[in-house]
Amino acid sequence: MPAEQSEEAITSRADAIVDFLVNAGYTHATGVPCSFLKGVFRRLEAPDSSLTYLPAPREDTAVGWAGGLALGGACPVTLMQNSGLGYCLNSFTSFTQLYGFPLLVVMSWRGRDVDAVEHGIIGHALTGILAAVQLPWRVIDPDDPASALDWCHGAAAEYATTAVAIVKDPA
Amino acid sequence: MTNASPTTLTPATVMATITSRFPDALVVSTCGYISRQLFAVEDRPSHIYLVGSMGMAAPVGGGLAMASGRRVLIFDGDGSFAMNLGALPMIASHGRGVVHVVLDNGCHDSTGGQKMLPLDPAALARAAGYASTCLVRTEADLALANGAATPLLVHAKVARQDHPVPPRVPYQPGELTLRLADFLNLKRQPSNRST
Repeated sequence: MPAEQSEEAITSRADAIVDFLVNAGYTHATGVPCSFLKGVFRRLEAPDSSLTYLPAPREDTAVGWAGGLALGGACPVTLMQNSGLGYCLNSFTSFTQLYGFPLLVVMSWRGRDVDAVEHGIIGHALTGILAAVQLPWRVIDPDDPASALDWCHGAAAEYATTAVAIVKDPA
Repeated sequence: MTNASPTTLTPATVMATITSRFPDALVVSTCGYISRQLFAVEDRPSHIYLVGSMGMAAPVGGGLAMASGRRVLIFDGDGSFAMNLGALPMIASHGRGVVHVVLDNGCHDSTGGQKMLPLDPAALARAAGYASTCLVRTEADLALANGAATPLLVHAKVARQDHPVPPRVPYQPGELTLRLADFLNLKRQPSNRST
């Protein structure tokens, strides 16, 4: 199992991620929770959140909804655990990447290191799969979350595609 | 639902009737024959034809309605509807303005007519919390799809696609995105760089 993280560290990283989203103009968030993102979801579910958060039953449905939001002029972010990547591959490759609009995905990276057994295979393969389907990605530095998020935000806009900011440390 | 009562209602008639009833609506169509048929019935800059992502027309339409605040017509198939029942509670909670039309010919027509599991889209939509549903078997029944209470699910029992099937949509997907952005006067224009 991953090492326990202090609540303060989790909250600090979560705040940095959500503050980036707010400052960059994101309007909506959808997705499926992960325990590595519980601080982020806590902020999104707070009554004073400036992003409208919609829970989705499954990750690919979240990607579809976020795509509709983007086509309609909103600025959505989609959050998920990397276990949801498999469900999403067709939504990415035949919709969000193909229709040419910017979309940011924040994805936790389970199974990168010692972790529960169900995360091992996808955790090992994660970045290789992203590269294989031409999804630009960056891993978030826990001491500077805004940097990778800003790179992904810029890449999504520049190339009118989906970019993935990977969260390896609970936030 | 079964195919026990054959219908003469065609997908084209359903599309023509509903799109002309809601001329200001944005429209999302599912992949395969349904997008091709919609393009042949009528093409507008407010139309997004999905060519892949089977099952995604419903959530895409829901997100589009939420962002734009406009009425959105979703032309789904019975197969693509069944593929993503998880979209139903999202549309029920956040899909104000959505008219979700399920064109039910009882089979996977675009891939050769393979059989479907039976299901009742209107009952599923009601259980998920849609504001209204209706069952349509004839052209006259289409009057029920008035959009008074949304999200509305229209379960349209239709005949299989007429052959020859209309040609594929000639626009590139990215062109459809830019065309819709122009139509909506979006300030945040998507980049013109294609993938």
